[in-house]
Amino acid sequence: MDGSEVRPSDPPATLLELHRSGRLAAEYPAVRGLLAGLSGAQLAQAGQLLSRLTPEAVLREHPGTPALTVAITGHGTLSALRPALTAEMARHGLLLRPFLADFDSYVFDLGDPGSALYAADPDLVLCVLDPLVVFDETPTPWRPADVERVLDEKIGLVERLAARFAGRARGTLVLNTMPLLRRFTAQLVDHRSRARLGAVWREANARLLRLTETHPAVLTVDLDPLLTEDVAASEIRMSIYAKAHLSAGLLAAYAREVAQLARHLAGLTRKALVLDLDGTVWGGVLSEDGPAGIEVGDGYRGEAFTEFQRVIKQLGAQGVLVAAVSKNDLAPVLEVLRDHPRMLLGEDDFVQVIANWRPKHENLVELAAALNLGVDSFVFADDSAYECGLVRYALPGVGVVALDDEPAQHVARLLHEGWFDVRELTDEDTVRPARYREDLVRKTFLDTFDSIEEYLRELDVRVRLVPATGDEAARVSQLTLRTNQFNLTSRRLQVPDIRDRLADPDASVLAVHASDRFGDNGLVGAVLLRRDGTDLHIDNFLLSCRAFSRGIEQACLSSVLRHARDTGTRSVYAAYRATPKNGMVRDFYPRNGFERLTDDGVTTTFRHDLAQIAAPPATVTLTDFLGVNA
Amino acid sequence: METIDDFLLLVETELGLRVTSREAARSFDELTGWDSMNLLALIAAVERNTGRSVSLARVLEAANLEEVYLLTVRGAEAIG
Repeated sequence: MDGSEVRPSDPPATLLELHRSGRLAAEYPAVRGLLAGLSGAQLAQAGQLLSRLTPEAVLREHPGTPALTVAITGHGTLSALRPALTAEMARHGLLLRPFLADFDSYVFDLGDPGSALYAADPDLVLCVLDPLVVFDETPTPWRPADVERVLDEKIGLVERLAARFAGRARGTLVLNTMPLLRRFTAQLVDHRSRARLGAVWREANARLLRLTETHPAVLTVDLDPLLTEDVAASEIRMSIYAKAHLSAGLLAAYAREVAQLARHLAGLTRKALVLDLDGTVWGGVLSEDGPAGIEVGDGYRGEAFTEFQRVIKQLGAQGVLVAAVSKNDLAPVLEVLRDHPRMLLGEDDFVQVIANWRPKHENLVELAAALNLGVDSFVFADDSAYECGLVRYALPGVGVVALDDEPAQHVARLLHEGWFDVRELTDEDTVRPARYREDLVRKTFLDTFDSIEEYLRELDVRVRLVPATGDEAARVSQLTLRTNQFNLTSRRLQVPDIRDRLADPDASVLAVHASDRFGDNGLVGAVLLRRDGTDLHIDNFLLSCRAFSRGIEQACLSSVLRHARDTGTRSVYAAYRATPKNGMVRDFYPRNGFERLTDDGVTTTFRHDLAQIAAPPATVTLTDFLGVNA
Repeated sequence: METIDDFLLLVETELGLRVTSREAARSFDELTGWDSMNLLALIAAVERNTGRSVSLARVLEAANLEEVYLLTVRGAEAIG
């Protein structure tokens, strides 16, 4: 059976029909599913249709659609970027609110804090640099020393613009390396000069890349690796006639990277990679070939599967949760994972292994529940077109990586886009898979108790609530980006936002550290406070989905309230902003002694008069030091 | 792709812009929904569709979609 049976027969035609009949905005939630399996050319076409739609029209129909403001500026003509980015973001269910700068105006846009770009208050600014930034200003004839001089000026300029942006704006500035084109290198006839040009060019690109080390608000996309995958850097006619110096194909690949970043910044980070086993992790069919007969480690195809397993291990080491969902009996699967001498992946590399004969989308939904994650934080990889089609159709939020019967292509297919891209890795990421496995042990432990209280007493939860340090800013930002359920306002904060709060004498950022009899949970939550005279505002309260319902949240809130009272605070104010995913904390404040002040249907505000503060739960051992400003 | 209607269907599929053959003779300035940036995407689509390379420099000088059609689909000689 072919996967096309469960997909709409012709997604591009369906999109065109929705566009013609003016129903694209009304049907926007279905667009993501229609874009899922499109080729590059089809996606470019879809981007043109979708960019005729105003974000306002979609938001009128579907007010909850996550939208990001992205400013596009740079040196050359970038007209291909808007439709490409519109389509790539729509694939993730995101809306692009574009701010398009004038042609070649990046110096003014970024250099003048009064510019329209700053006024648009973008979440992301794409400042697209191309090789003509430099070669437009070299003399004729030129030598490598001329290029070196112009490069030095231009990179210095970009560094100053980046510093200005970092000091004035809220969002993230995305720069890129400039490809070195043969149309320039080949103008030098001697190899020695050509080598020197190559060296100074790479040094300049390295400076652009290193800007990400000095400015937390800046990211640099390296275009060189994108050019190793069958994409031309530039199309000469477009470059000369239309000043479009980077090819539409390269801008599409760039848009794919940016959309993954946008997804992360919108709080929709992918967290788990769910793998099929037969034909995906190893070759052959376990139930027919037996453990000794599967292809892994030995032989041509066996080596290809091992290479794929190596990449899975690599992703797992960076915090991606790896799980398996396979149509097999569990016992032989576990036998392979535990005992097969040529397997690189073992049982410990998976947070959970599900092997049964039920439809995969049902298994995915249950796995999401067991891990306490949304199913749309999953990426699913399978070599069967049928399974991929079924999951795409049944669960449009799941990212699907369609593999086939050529295992040597598995790695490239999986890494074709940065499903798991994040701004930066934190200490928490490296231990995350182990912590999720511990959680599953906790759940088994829970099943041995008759009451939750008895379980919690035996669990021996210990909480430390202390001001976050500068080193923890990345983790706190990550919590605001990744946490969807226990997130009272769902306001996403980037690292510079957290640093601003750490530096603000009226603000404080409290980190929640937790541990229990099974081990250290790490930095699992944060409380963001702001003092206003004799009032204290809880700007947000966050707890990782691994940590709630163990009394940690009550213990921390109780501590904040007691500290507020002890330092002369009159009232503590807090707010809950409803999102599709945080309904479980709607009553968190009223259940803990807050009275309701206002409710506009989305945001509810609360006040606590500090007269009666509930004691922390007896099952939690709390250590707190909230500092002087909290 | 041969006729102007085929060409205008391509304009609609590629750019999401519905243009009648009468409107195709109107200058770009008077064409509702047209953006000068659309032309580059359209040229790329025509080349992909016909498998032929067009004279970009001449097409960029075209005043309306009819001229683009003549230059890209019928060949430059059609417009003389």
